[in-house]
Amino acid sequence: MKINNASYDENKTTGIVVRLANRSIFRNTRRTLLTVLLISCSLVAILFTDAFVRGMVSTMVKISTQTFLGEAQVHQQGFRATNDIDLYIEDTHTLFSKIAETEAIQAYAPRVISGAMTSSSDNVAAAIIYGVDSDKEAQVSKLKQAMVDGQYLSGKESEILLGQRLAELLEVSLGDRLVVTVSQAHGGDLSQALFRVSGIFSFNERNMDNGMAFINLSQAQELLSINGVHEIALRLQNLNQADDKTLLFWQALNNEKLETLAWQDLVPQLSSMLAMTEYSTLIVSTILYVLVCLGLINTMFMSIFERQTEFGILLAIGTRPKQLFIQILLEGFFIGLLSIVLGVILAFIVCYWGSITGIDYTDLEMTGLTLNEPIYLILDTMSFIKMAFATLLVTILACIYPAVHAAKLQPSFAMRKTL
Amino acid sequence: MNNIAQNNTQKRDVLVNSTTVIETKMLCRHFGQGDTLVNALTDANLTINKGEFTTIIGPSGSGKSTLLQLIGGLDTPTSGEVLLDNKHISQMTGTELSDFRRDHIGFIFQAYNLIPVLSAKENIEYIMLLQGISAQERAKRVSAIMHDVGLEGLENRRPAQLSGGQQQRVAVARAMVSEPSIILADEPTANLDSKTGIELLDMMKTLNEEQKMTFVFSTHDPKIMERAKRIIRLEDGCIVDDECFS
Repeated sequence: MKINNASYDENKTTGIVVRLANRSIFRNTRRTLLTVLLISCSLVAILFTDAFVRGMVSTMVKISTQTFLGEAQVHQQGFRATNDIDLYIEDTHTLFSKIAETEAIQAYAPRVISGAMTSSSDNVAAAIIYGVDSDKEAQVSKLKQAMVDGQYLSGKESEILLGQRLAELLEVSLGDRLVVTVSQAHGGDLSQALFRVSGIFSFNERNMDNGMAFINLSQAQELLSINGVHEIALRLQNLNQADDKTLLFWQALNNEKLETLAWQDLVPQLSSMLAMTEYSTLIVSTILYVLVCLGLINTMFMSIFERQTEFGILLAIGTRPKQLFIQILLEGFFIGLLSIVLGVILAFIVCYWGSITGIDYTDLEMTGLTLNEPIYLILDTMSFIKMAFATLLVTILACIYPAVHAAKLQPSFAMRKTL
Repeated sequence: MNNIAQNNTQKRDVLVNSTTVIETKMLCRHFGQGDTLVNALTDANLTINKGEFTTIIGPSGSGKSTLLQLIGGLDTPTSGEVLLDNKHISQMTGTELSDFRRDHIGFIFQAYNLIPVLSAKENIEYIMLLQGISAQERAKRVSAIMHDVGLEGLENRRPAQLSGGQQQRVAVARAMVSEPSIILADEPTANLDSKTGIELLDMMKTLNEEQKMTFVFSTHDPKIMERAKRIIRLEDGCIVDDECFS
């Protein structure tokens, strides 16, 4: 049979299909708005989660690196594995010059580290003693800002800074005397020195406040009988440089004697946790997209069943099944478009608010890290674009099943009561 | 004359040359199975020629609507054949059947069945849009048919803003504006008052006589029977009588 295809131009029918789809979505305004709200709220939740995770990762890395760790550290090979005080960096003068000349490194802080016994007149406690250069340490860590009582190190003889909880344990306060006993390098002879508590610090981090004490670098070297340092903490110009192992200084500071590691390697539990955290957006997105799909399929089927007779008519008077299929997909597209516009606006408002005020999780401890500042949400334009398009795509995909159902309707069945 | 008009003319010519436009052979339609089996139509043999004004009558449940649905390709027969212009519609694909209905058959439904989101003008124009007829030609035809069915001034009203009679006029206009060869009408006056029903029938009768369109009605309405050139009576799914009038 000759069908009048010569006159048929599919492009010319697009207009009427678009018009039908566009008008049909507002036939039941309440249902359409509820569907749009469902999809928009899901998009808001996804974008909020994404911004929150970005903020949390940034905050945790910042807390981890800026509080004390540094973005990278240099040690003598083997020191990190054994904490052997004999494994110290000797030729510090040359190394410091090399570090100072390195453009990627903003600041560095040399440290001498040793386990010690601290004794007050009332109590005894084990602690880690750090010998630090007060000026350089202030450029790398937040020790100076963490002072809650007394004075930061000034370079004077016999100064010692104690963690708040360690001071409480030792029952000492400012000006009280304290004896520090360490085992010296090269033989392990015991060495003792008398200090006066010159300051109390609190990093708001249990382990640090419980078991750390700071003295001047020169005195620590004298106490341990070494002429070098155990650790050099580095502050990089840019945090991302910690990931970029192609930078020359990584090779220059890694050799048979020296081991230089970025924060990701120094606290692998944190980087693992952060890597897992990034999956949370994916998990939340997947769950919400499944819910969106189910909600939309339900809505579209309700709409299709309500309009079954009408679809029967459209098919009866010559609408091709494919055109009906496209009409339903277009309805999904329009609903999706409305939803992402509303969702992106709402998400921007919520995330922007979160980026200004922050979300207070202060004192919450995660993987040994205490959040001592609010989490500020980080808005990422690419995430907004990607998630919006993903939502639109999911919306259209969710309409395929109802669209196939509508396209497969037999006109006589769809119309039932009449011709 | 543009391509569309040319095609329509060719299509009409094909049907003029072959007098028989509708033929059914041993047409059966059963619903359900086993104890719930319903024989809606049994062994219906029927031939309708070009330009006939045929009425299918019978009590409710006698198979009138089923027969029209099968003739219009809206339903699939359990057995038997439907030939339109000597072609088996059962051999057509879904798209071919849609295109055939679009180009050759006009439907008028009892419940008007207009598209509620389209205006009267858009409803009438819809099939022509599917056919790819130019905007100029569409406007010309819509204007003419709206005048013929007495709907001038109501072009932009949606179906909900029209009375039952006006809606059925739109439905008639929609069925006829694409110049189909056959018009199938299922109880078109059932929901109309007597005066409006007569007006519509007279209008269809005129079109039948002037344009040689083939009309097949299913009805209980004596007004339609009075105007029919042929009456086919159905009982329990079987054709029991077939009368022609001069």
